[in-house]
Amino acid sequence: MSQAQNWYKADLREIEFLLFEQFGLADLLGQAPYAEWGPDEVKMVLEECYRFSTEILGPLNQVGDREGCTLVDGEVQTPSGFDKAWTALYEQGWRSLAVAEENGGQGSPLTLQAVAEELMSGANPAFMMYPGLTNGAADLIAHHGTPEQVERWAQPMFAGRFGGTMCLSEPHAGSDVGAAKTSATKVSDGVYKIKGTKCWISAGDHTLADNVVHLVLARIEGAEAGTKGLSLFIVPKRRLGEDGKVAGGNDVTVAGIEHKMGLNGSATCTLSFGDNDDCLGYLVGGVEHQGMRQMFTMMNYARIGVGLQGLAVAGAAYMNALDYAKDRKQGSSIDKWKDPTAPRVAIIEHPDVRRMLLDMKAKTEGIRALIVKLTTHQDRSVALAGRDDDSAAYHKGQVELLTPLVKAYSSDQAYRVAETAIQVHGGSGYVRDFPVEQAARDSKVFSIYEGTNHIQALDLVGRKLGQAGGKHAQEFFADVGKFVAANKDHAQLGPAVAQLAKAQEAVGGAAFQLLGWFKGGEMERVPLNANRFLEMMSEVAVAWLLLEGAAIAVEKLADVAESHPDRAFYEGKRYAAVYYATNVLPDVIAKAKMLQLGDQSAIEIPDAAFATV
Amino acid sequence: MKILVPVKRVADPDNANKMKVTADGSAVTSEGLAWKVNPFDEYAVEAALRLNEKGGSGDVLGETVVISLGDDEVIQTLRQPLAMGVDRAILVKASDGEIDSTVVAKALAAVVEKEQPDLVLMGKQAVDGDSNTAGQMLAEHLGWPMATFAMSIEVADDGKALVVGREVDTGVLTLKVTLPAVVTVDLRIVAPAAVKNGVTPDDHAYNEGARYASLKGIMKAKKKPVDQTSLSDLGVEASPLVEYTKYELPPARSGSATFVESVDELVEKLRTEAKVL
Repeated sequence: MSQAQNWYKADLREIEFLLFEQFGLADLLGQAPYAEWGPDEVKMVLEECYRFSTEILGPLNQVGDREGCTLVDGEVQTPSGFDKAWTALYEQGWRSLAVAEENGGQGSPLTLQAVAEELMSGANPAFMMYPGLTNGAADLIAHHGTPEQVERWAQPMFAGRFGGTMCLSEPHAGSDVGAAKTSATKVSDGVYKIKGTKCWISAGDHTLADNVVHLVLARIEGAEAGTKGLSLFIVPKRRLGEDGKVAGGNDVTVAGIEHKMGLNGSATCTLSFGDNDDCLGYLVGGVEHQGMRQMFTMMNYARIGVGLQGLAVAGAAYMNALDYAKDRKQGSSIDKWKDPTAPRVAIIEHPDVRRMLLDMKAKTEGIRALIVKLTTHQDRSVALAGRDDDSAAYHKGQVELLTPLVKAYSSDQAYRVAETAIQVHGGSGYVRDFPVEQAARDSKVFSIYEGTNHIQALDLVGRKLGQAGGKHAQEFFADVGKFVAANKDHAQLGPAVAQLAKAQEAVGGAAFQLLGWFKGGEMERVPLNANRFLEMMSEVAVAWLLLEGAAIAVEKLADVAESHPDRAFYEGKRYAAVYYATNVLPDVIAKAKMLQLGDQSAIEIPDAAFATV
Repeated sequence: MKILVPVKRVADPDNANKMKVTADGSAVTSEGLAWKVNPFDEYAVEAALRLNEKGGSGDVLGETVVISLGDDEVIQTLRQPLAMGVDRAILVKASDGEIDSTVVAKALAAVVEKEQPDLVLMGKQAVDGDSNTAGQMLAEHLGWPMATFAMSIEVADDGKALVVGREVDTGVLTLKVTLPAVVTVDLRIVAPAAVKNGVTPDDHAYNEGARYASLKGIMKAKKKPVDQTSLSDLGVEASPLVEYTKYELPPARSGSATFVESVDELVEKLRTEAKVL
């Protein structure tokens, strides 16, 4: 076993700021549906979950990376210590925060689950794949399953007795899910024989739990082609007896596990169903041809989850780089550059290192704010449903709109933040003695799985922008506009807010441009520019939220004593926002110009012209 | 058995380097630092919970009560042991200026008279003042037997006594105390097999360290009773004997390193310059 050392660190003050000072979580607590929750409980959860993350999960992060997973006698063996961590995780209850009380959870706001998730995934992203997929699959069954399916499958999954996965991809059907060939043949009511191969299945097999419950998209014989003909099945690794106990095999085989760039502690499996024509699947909710719709419930949360993974790994890499920069002495101060005998200084004193650190700080804090914004919208929509349906719809609409931003922007930036963290470390960042090269390797897949970031960009421009007649996007821009109007003359933030106003205008213009291409039948221009548009809109959102936080911080600074640590904290919020607004937003305007230029080179270039070989 | 565990809140010991002293040296400021349960007291809570449960079964064998002195904010600190599994808490209201070890010991003695626990189990000292006196004074006030620096506890004589391993300079001194008694604990009391209550199966493996508060524990803690009383209710005079005249921070470490050529030179330097040999 590799040496177990925890490298994970998080700034809980920052998380508390977002929850209680910027996004008003306290307004939701102490009343239905979060009546059991108060700020004290939330803080205790953060502290205890952080302790769990750094003491139990963190030390296994490098272990999991170095050992990886192996296939032994047909079953995946996870790295040393994962089994104990799994048991501890469920004993302590950190997987059941936002799980409904009837399913054994504590019914917390999703926001609390999300910030706890950041702590755990930041400490060990590969390990958290297993419980992450398990909860996602259990949630889906809880939403769409029959009461009997919820009791038999979802509840043991919420309790950690069973694991879970989602099986969409096939060798020839990745982003193109509708091409799936896995078949289902009816045996009796709700029971089908499943046959086919699924690949890229994260947490696809393990022995951490008694069973692994796969949610498999398959086509019932005779169903139409494409995504509309797909149905969703509960396909367990092991069948259950009448008593709900594991009773025997179900003809599900692990055909192989991938050897990957990162997330090595998480087993990515190819699964073969029904090699011996003896694999039973149970139709989710007993309804046919609803597979994609059902899967989407899970996918939306899974996409937020990937955004969280990106944030988690980026946040960890930033903290590691910061610690290194404070500790590592190299070179003298720029003020004394001519004096070879000048004392060596910690590299945090070098302007370019400071730039990199602030860049990472601004990006991670901005993305964290974006995610907490999304989850508090979700919590408010739940709290307001039935009492004020118009407001609930507004909040739900923002969740819809922000989901592709959270997934794609966070996962893109995670890799870049990790890259910057390596750069801060210099050569040390490139070697395995330090944790940041693993952060880069682990984070790369976040932009690929759970719908590539191009799929997210298409979801944004093709679906979300125009959803509800464009209402969600209009409301989003109106909210930004309100902030700009209220703060454009802000004594300290005014110039940065002016940048935000210009960038927002540029994004609005770009949205119209995309719409024009749509309507004008110039379809290929849309995907060509979709990723860029998603990035622009994300940057406006992040800048807005950073500035909103900074405005709160500036106000609070007036009442904080010179000696109080909050002073530095609030100043940090202000610097991060001004940095981001001034160093990132001008790029948004430049990108809008690029869109206007309408360069078609990538479309027009003949295939043969890419290279002569 | 019924166990009373006195706990003190201290400024987050993991961030003790952020502690400051006022310019005139009259007080220590720990503003902005979170309050935590004194680590040795947290070990006492863990040891008390281990004594009072059948490990691994969820069965509880007796009542465990925590007590602290301070203002209303201390209730938040008391939630931690409640979330770990302690049954209830008592807060004796007092301000920091009103209390020192002598006042604390008198107040605890008064509470013990009321509560009649079989055992008072507490940390050997608090990591802020490092006085290491409250437990000893309490035993004196009560006229109870006492064992300090416990690194192992075993229930003996059908629950009428404890065999306590005390960590002393020369090794481990084992002695038996008849209950009721006062026991103060050292950090090894949270080793996996340090506490034996005669009920928990020998093969039950405790984790090293104090247990985590689980999510369920945290949610239950809010509903557990915190009884409030005051020094005057207990008939204790708020007249501390210890007077603090001046505080100063330890000198900053120089952080310089000296390289030596040989072991002999190292030994010589350790003897003459560092004066540690």
